Amino acid sequence: MRLFSYHVNLGTLISGWGVQYLLWGILCWLFWWWLGPRFQQATLFYTITRGLPLSIVASVVEEMIWVACFPNMPWNPKHATYWHRFAFHANAELISNMVIFWGAFGLFRGVTYYQKYRDRESAAEKLKTELVNSQMRALRMQLNPHFLFNTMNSISSLMHTDIAAADDMLEQLSSLLRITLKRGEVQLIPLSEEMEFIEMYLAMQDRRFTGRVTQEICVEPDLHDALVPAMLLQPIIENAYTHGLSKLNKDGRLVVKASRHHKRLKITVTNSGTGLKHAPTRDNPRQGVGIANVQDRLRLHYGSDQSISLVQLQTGDVEARITLPLQISNQPTVNLAGDSAP
Amino acid sequence: MIHAVLADDEVLARQKLRQLLRSETEIEIVGESATATETIDLVRATKPELLFLDIQMPGMDGFDILTEISSGETMPPPCVIFTTAYDQYALRAFEIHAIDYLLKPFTRERLASSVERARKQILLNQQPAQNGSAGVARSPYANRLVFKSRGRIIFLPVSDIRRISAEENYVRICTQSETHLLRETMAHLEERLDPEMFLRVHRSSIVNLQHVKEVRTESDGEYAVVLINGDKLSMSRSYRSRINEWITHS
Repeated sequence: MRLFSYHVNLGTLISGWGVQYLLWGILCWLFWWWLGPRFQQATLFYTITRGLPLSIVASVVEEMIWVACFPNMPWNPKHATYWHRFAFHANAELISNMVIFWGAFGLFRGVTYYQKYRDRESAAEKLKTELVNSQMRALRMQLNPHFLFNTMNSISSLMHTDIAAADDMLEQLSSLLRITLKRGEVQLIPLSEEMEFIEMYLAMQDRRFTGRVTQEICVEPDLHDALVPAMLLQPIIENAYTHGLSKLNKDGRLVVKASRHHKRLKITVTNSGTGLKHAPTRDNPRQGVGIANVQDRLRLHYGSDQSISLVQLQTGDVEARITLPLQISNQPTVNLAGDSAP
Repeated sequence: MIHAVLADDEVLARQKLRQLLRSETEIEIVGESATATETIDLVRATKPELLFLDIQMPGMDGFDILTEISSGETMPPPCVIFTTAYDQYALRAFEIHAIDYLLKPFTRERLASSVERARKQILLNQQPAQNGSAGVARSPYANRLVFKSRGRIIFLPVSDIRRISAEENYVRICTQSETHLLRETMAHLEERLDPEMFLRVHRSSIVNLQHVKEVRTESDGEYAVVLINGDKLSMSRSYRSRINEWITHS
């Protein structure tokens, strides 16, 4: 490093180095503050035409200040003027100063490249989530009209035979629409809300199948806040009616059950229909949009960490089983609580 | 006979109300109005006991109409049943002691139950103000609960509640015909309900004493509360003294 032709004490030497790096620290900070954005985008031409002169100026300025700070190195002022000492130091230190300057310059550029890389990475990630979200949104929105038109058709049919029943069904449909619209495009909802929707849907189905089907809903109390994809069960229950319960003349039974199995949520929809032989498969073109939609949404939400299957039980009942990872909502819904004295 | 005014800016909405009310023999419709000023004038002129009021009306909204009506005259303001397509005013309607809040479209049964409640309230209003009723009005306990359930707004008189059971972070309120799941705590409900009327018999159940048939000692020495409809609720030791107290009182 510094070449000394005579003895200097260690303290002076260390403070000399300290001041040198302090000065460079200040200079680099000033450059970053003043020229940072331009350094970030510097072309090779800019680097040579501006960076090179700047590096020389910076080295000279730093050396001038340093020499002024340490008049005793390497000779006493008696023996040499300021300019003598400056010439000596500039000559000895130019290369190391240049190394410091370009090192700092390289560091600036490196940091910039790293930031750009991170930004690009997170943008790609964001794009991917947005794509998945829009797919889920599209799938979710596909269900509303599907379900709406089926119900309107029922009402239209009822109007010719039973005006009062058509009127009631319109009211039920309005209530369903009201909570569906309020929910908006939210993807995951607490099970209590999904079940509320299902209760309303079942009340409507009950009107269509006047007393031919008994319905039962059973949810373990600690699962009311478990998160599930919105409109998860309606297509499954609709299927249970279309392919099973609608073929019975009496004593049909539909059971919807939610239970906890280890750290998973299990939901089953059991119907005492006509067995699996009439059940639709995915390849069957007769199958509605509903089940495929549910399968696609489960896959988008949970990847392979979910399952949906249709099995025939020993009793002849058909059971749709869904398992999901158990997530508990931490943003509870408020039902508009209030009370009043008379 | 209950005199009623129908206020709604839509002809078809008024027509529906008129048709449904035809089967309510006690109700006599004394007038219909389509705007805020019409409504105010009509109510002042006919002094009805009951007002069916839409919230979104040309001129002012339903709440402003009510303020206007009750400010001008010394007569008692009519009982109000709101009929609207919007659910966001429910809490406000509840706070001004509206009889009910009907979301359009509503069914005949839903309207009939509102009219029944209005009838009771009007009877109560017509009784000469005695010292007793004044005492009730100052009761610190809830007279009704308001909540949303299955896309409807429910103003539930607490006397309609048979029992309440806890389900983790929720409570299930059972009435004669329905159950409602609410996000609410037992402790919070218990302190709002009149202890003369409701009793906590277990960590997870509150019963309406009017619906209790008997308190039974089971073969294993445990107590059980049997409701009139046959439901049986177990009772924990810590709450037993309370029911004993109630039995000796009644």
